[in-house]
Amino acid sequence: MSAPRPDVTPPQPWTFPVPVEHVLGNGVRVLAHDLPGQYVLSLRVVVPTALSAEPDGKEGVGAMTARLLDEGTLAHGSEEFAELMERHGMVLGAGVSDGGLLVDVDVPQRHLRTAAALVTEALAEPAFPEDEVRRILRNRLAEIEQERASSAHRAARELARTLWHPDDRASRPTAGSTETIGALTRDDLVEFHATAVGPQGSTVVVAGDLTGVDVVGVLEGTLGTWSAPRHRPAPKPVAPVPAADGARVVVVDRPGSVQTEIAVGRPGPDRSSPDGWAPYPVLSFVLGGSPSARIDAVLREEKGYTYGIRSSFRPRVAGGSFVTSGSVRSEVTGEAVEILLGILDGARDGFTDAEVRSGVDYVGKTAPGRYATADAVADETAALALEGLPLDFTTRNLRAVADLGRDDLDDAYRRVATGEWSVVLVGDAATVVPALDGRVGEPVSTVDL
Amino acid sequence: MPLDYPIHRRTLPNGMRVVVSPDHTVPNVTVNIWVGVGSRHETVGRTGFAHLFEHLMFQGSRSVRSGEHFEALMAQGARLNATTWFDRTNYFETVPTGAVELALWLEADRHGFLLDAVTQENLDNQRDVVKEEKRQRYDNQPYGNALIDVYAAVFPEGHPYHHPTIGSMEDLDAASLDDVHAFFRAHYGPDNTVLTLCGDITAEHGFAIVERYFGDLVARAAPRRPDHPQLAPLEQPVRVERREVVPNDRLHVAFRLPVDETDDFIAGAVALDCIGGLATSRLVRRLVRREQTALGAHATAWGFVDGASLGFVVLDVAPGTDPDEVEAAFVEELEGFLEHGPTAIELEASLAQSERSWLSALASQEERADLVSHYLLLHDDPGVVNTHLDRLRDVTAEQVVESARRWLRPDSRATVAYLVADDASDAETVTTEDVA
Repeated sequence: MSAPRPDVTPPQPWTFPVPVEHVLGNGVRVLAHDLPGQYVLSLRVVVPTALSAEPDGKEGVGAMTARLLDEGTLAHGSEEFAELMERHGMVLGAGVSDGGLLVDVDVPQRHLRTAAALVTEALAEPAFPEDEVRRILRNRLAEIEQERASSAHRAARELARTLWHPDDRASRPTAGSTETIGALTRDDLVEFHATAVGPQGSTVVVAGDLTGVDVVGVLEGTLGTWSAPRHRPAPKPVAPVPAADGARVVVVDRPGSVQTEIAVGRPGPDRSSPDGWAPYPVLSFVLGGSPSARIDAVLREEKGYTYGIRSSFRPRVAGGSFVTSGSVRSEVTGEAVEILLGILDGARDGFTDAEVRSGVDYVGKTAPGRYATADAVADETAALALEGLPLDFTTRNLRAVADLGRDDLDDAYRRVATGEWSVVLVGDAATVVPALDGRVGEPVSTVDL
Repeated sequence: MPLDYPIHRRTLPNGMRVVVSPDHTVPNVTVNIWVGVGSRHETVGRTGFAHLFEHLMFQGSRSVRSGEHFEALMAQGARLNATTWFDRTNYFETVPTGAVELALWLEADRHGFLLDAVTQENLDNQRDVVKEEKRQRYDNQPYGNALIDVYAAVFPEGHPYHHPTIGSMEDLDAASLDDVHAFFRAHYGPDNTVLTLCGDITAEHGFAIVERYFGDLVARAAPRRPDHPQLAPLEQPVRVERREVVPNDRLHVAFRLPVDETDDFIAGAVALDCIGGLATSRLVRRLVRREQTALGAHATAWGFVDGASLGFVVLDVAPGTDPDEVEAAFVEELEGFLEHGPTAIELEASLAQSERSWLSALASQEERADLVSHYLLLHDDPGVVNTHLDRLRDVTAEQVVESARRWLRPDSRATVAYLVADDASDAETVTTEDVA
């Protein structure tokens, strides 16, 4: 090739868009991002709730309430409501996390008013029709069985159960288990909605091309009319308590599996961590964020044991986890687990300057593209609202990423990686268990799928 | 609202078609390359090869060492990947504006001079990686091989869409270095490649730098065979049953469709939307909401170019319900649709949802570039990104019902049923009708 390898011109500093802030008459906070050219608007409503406050035996009541918000309101039946959304190009999702209930809507700009009105109905006056309640609960029971059948889902569930203290809500599925869902009634959902879902403390985010859109006017006339007299503010979420015996290996027996799903975890920080959040995305990249990262350089590119294994720090509103997961073919499970734990432990000896540089550059320089669309900007601003972070957090964090050095990464990793890992292996136990012999230090136990 | 994303188009002397679509809202440029080769071009005994080959494109070329493509670009803040599909293979990266020339240089090196660096060791390694990809995405997933059964049931043996892009373990094992060399020479060349630059760049500068890095590549791809003639609908129903360890019974009901970008395909896709694609589709209303015999109903139309497209409906049967009852209800709904056609509300809903999803795709620079390359390579019309919605708005109820009557007759369906087996030893396959 005649053209020589070109030089790269460094990018200009970049900042995350700052929303315009407003407070509606009923106290709902509005954060609006005008993003020219983004013709589909993203609307997010964040309602602080506390997963840990779900009543005993009623776990999943929050998630089921969220799923039923758009299944019929005082003004519209379930099918009618679905048809109204669909005819206006709307798509709506709703769910809960450890610290909030989130409603997530995308809609073409010209239908914002209709979308905001329907979201208000869904939040303020859902009817919880008996038929729909039964259907949604039954679908959740079927979903639990589908999640059980999927190695990756099953591994995530077992990891939560191994990582966190058995009394902690975080150790059990957010959307409830067969037992707790089976025990829920319409009254439970109605009561949860009346007391846990209200405008107080809530935030609505709108992002997209707002040319000619009177955002405040539209929202005052819709979400600004939302009231919930019995609503009680949620307690502030606290970080989950780790299990005392979390450092162990659990094999989930899935007979006949041609691969073993591996999940290795440790408790990790949230984004409000006093030590700073900046090092963690960089660590994720360096350890398990690309084919050249430490893990895949060996397990994928050298050994060919896996399609890819990823490491990520997963912040909750309070607390979080560091999870490395992926699948390897069954025959090599023992060796792969030994290598993987060796890499994760070995990283406590420190990272190289080249690794720090590549991770810092990747996290920093991908930011403009990662936050280029209305939905990505809305998601991040909604997350900031939910986590109680300042609106300049994203930009300040990127500045902090740029200033990271080797010591910052080494210290951050050692705070999380103490050498004690919760390891979950979903696979054929008859193959997997004998292969672990002498390869892992932690005690090994086996559970049914 | 008429769309007006800019489309500047040029063809290099070596035959490479190039589009530049400036958008200065974000300081990034997407480089998106489509090569006119996919699993439809694979030969018997070499299924999965186009995809395996795509993996090798990351293992080094004349001036780039193995793995360097990923490393060099990610260190500049690039997000990148490649995918293989029935009709094509694509390679793409979104980079900060100042790194676009590096991206082009790296792409030109592998698209021009891959064979200088391919080794048996890299082939063996990536073959293993691809086999793990197959296990992860197909073999170790409940219902993971269902669509593979659908392709085989809907399209006759030897047809381009009869086999899946992932291929078979035996064929992956059989792939040799000679195959790699022959495949590159036959399919990879500027005359079988299109390139789109989308983002923070002007047309003039974009064309100049593409010319700088790709201008020296020599046209050499083998002549393309003509596309297959349009395949007629199945003449009688086909049924494949598998008993597996799955959480609930699931039916996949599939149809041959006309090739992509024809009026008939677009109308047929709207018909599938009304029947099973919308949240308020007939199947959802009846089976999921009212009778509650299905947990979910979804419909999809995939447009292809080589003699047929594929439409299918997936029905998750509620535990305790007889799957035959669900299929009978499906047939009844289908017959009702064929008789009366869509309602005005169904057409309105389908159009509104298509509009949002099309605008959402175009909202992202990466997806916009990919759509431009798609219509440039396969239809020689990148302007479809701006005109597609206008075309959808013109679809009439008559067109929808006519297309449905031609392509979605109950007798033209292939049903792939995954049924709950009591345990693994009970697993079996029954095929009651073969493909004509």
